[in-house]
Amino acid sequence: MVARSQRERLLDAAIDVVAEKGYRATTVADLTKAAGVSRTTFYELFEDKEACFLAAYDAAVDVLARRIAAAFETQDAWPDRVRAALIALLESLSAEPKIARLALVDVGSAGPRAQRRYRAALQRMTPFFDEGRDFVPGGRGLPANTSRMAVGSVTGLVADEIEAGRADQLPNLLPEILFASLVPYVGPEAAAKEAGER
Amino acid sequence: MAAITETRRDVLLEAMVRVVGRKGYEATSVADVIEEAGTSRTTFYKHFDDKHDCFLSAYDMVVERVFATVVAECDGEQPWLPRVRKGLATLIGIFAREPELARTAVVEVAVAGAEARQRHWDAVARFTGYLEDGRAEVDPGGNLPTHISVMAMGAVSGLIFDELVAGRTAQLPSLMPDLLFAMLVPFIGPAAATEEMRRAVQAT
Repeated sequence: MVARSQRERLLDAAIDVVAEKGYRATTVADLTKAAGVSRTTFYELFEDKEACFLAAYDAAVDVLARRIAAAFETQDAWPDRVRAALIALLESLSAEPKIARLALVDVGSAGPRAQRRYRAALQRMTPFFDEGRDFVPGGRGLPANTSRMAVGSVTGLVADEIEAGRADQLPNLLPEILFASLVPYVGPEAAAKEAGER
Repeated sequence: MAAITETRRDVLLEAMVRVVGRKGYEATSVADVIEEAGTSRTTFYKHFDDKHDCFLSAYDMVVERVFATVVAECDGEQPWLPRVRKGLATLIGIFAREPELARTAVVEVAVAGAEARQRHWDAVARFTGYLEDGRAEVDPGGNLPTHISVMAMGAVSGLIFDELVAGRTAQLPSLMPDLLFAMLVPFIGPAAATEEMRRAVQAT
């Protein structure tokens, strides 16, 4: 049996404790206690609470981004690729509600650096949507920010649901979220048709 | 006397909005706020328990003011589309003219704790409700997804948040065409939304 490293235990602790207490109320003492490591070890690995939180955030986002990208690549046609990516996103978030809270809700409360990481994380999702420009005639003429706004429509609803304590039901929203993702490119009728298919 | 007391409270609220927009919520102290407001510490504590209490009241004031301005600018008699266009332009105009207010209202509110965040969600929900009010005009059959207004608002607020975090508040009005596109496209589709976007460009 391989023991998780002290660093990994601290990253897990950051997710657990922040999910429970919120970022501002969380102390380094909470993290070391939850991880079962000494204060000295903590400061050998991280400069402060923020550094530990940001590392946990980056790790969580990396896992999510890899799952989404892998799911996207399993399909050929762009709407199917988006559907697969969204299924991966919604299922990951519903299976791990603490990570969902951290990634989309609590990150905003952790200050300017965390907020910039959050925006950078969302930016990683835009290429999936940008492919839609080549899928539809005239797609090149859509506004430059179309993919950023498509991501915003997804995360806006998802964050709302997480905040309302309904993270476990996120996969049920797939049709609506797929509609919102496709509609700037294909229009309401085609988006509704795609969203209605399984 | 009552009027003067009320005014001092308002001055403190306005000061809180400006200081938080400039320094961030965490770095803001009661001392900063009373210095900005030009009032005494005693006056501050007569009206508020602490920084957090003052911030929540300041936030409520901002939401009321912004919402009232947007609604006043949108003639209720107008059809949905011009109303949405006018409402969005009004909101963007307020943010561009008052960048400190914009940062406080959209970015810093997330830092100020769970209660503040709840107020932010409630504020977004009011704007969503306003968008939703005219939905029957563009979706008479009720065929569009239930959460369509929430998602349209998400697209708009996500882009605004991005620009504020990046310090590009003054350039927000140049994004008006894109924002209008995002708000309209789920309802009317890309061709019609692009047409509206072109008109918005010509209007500026």
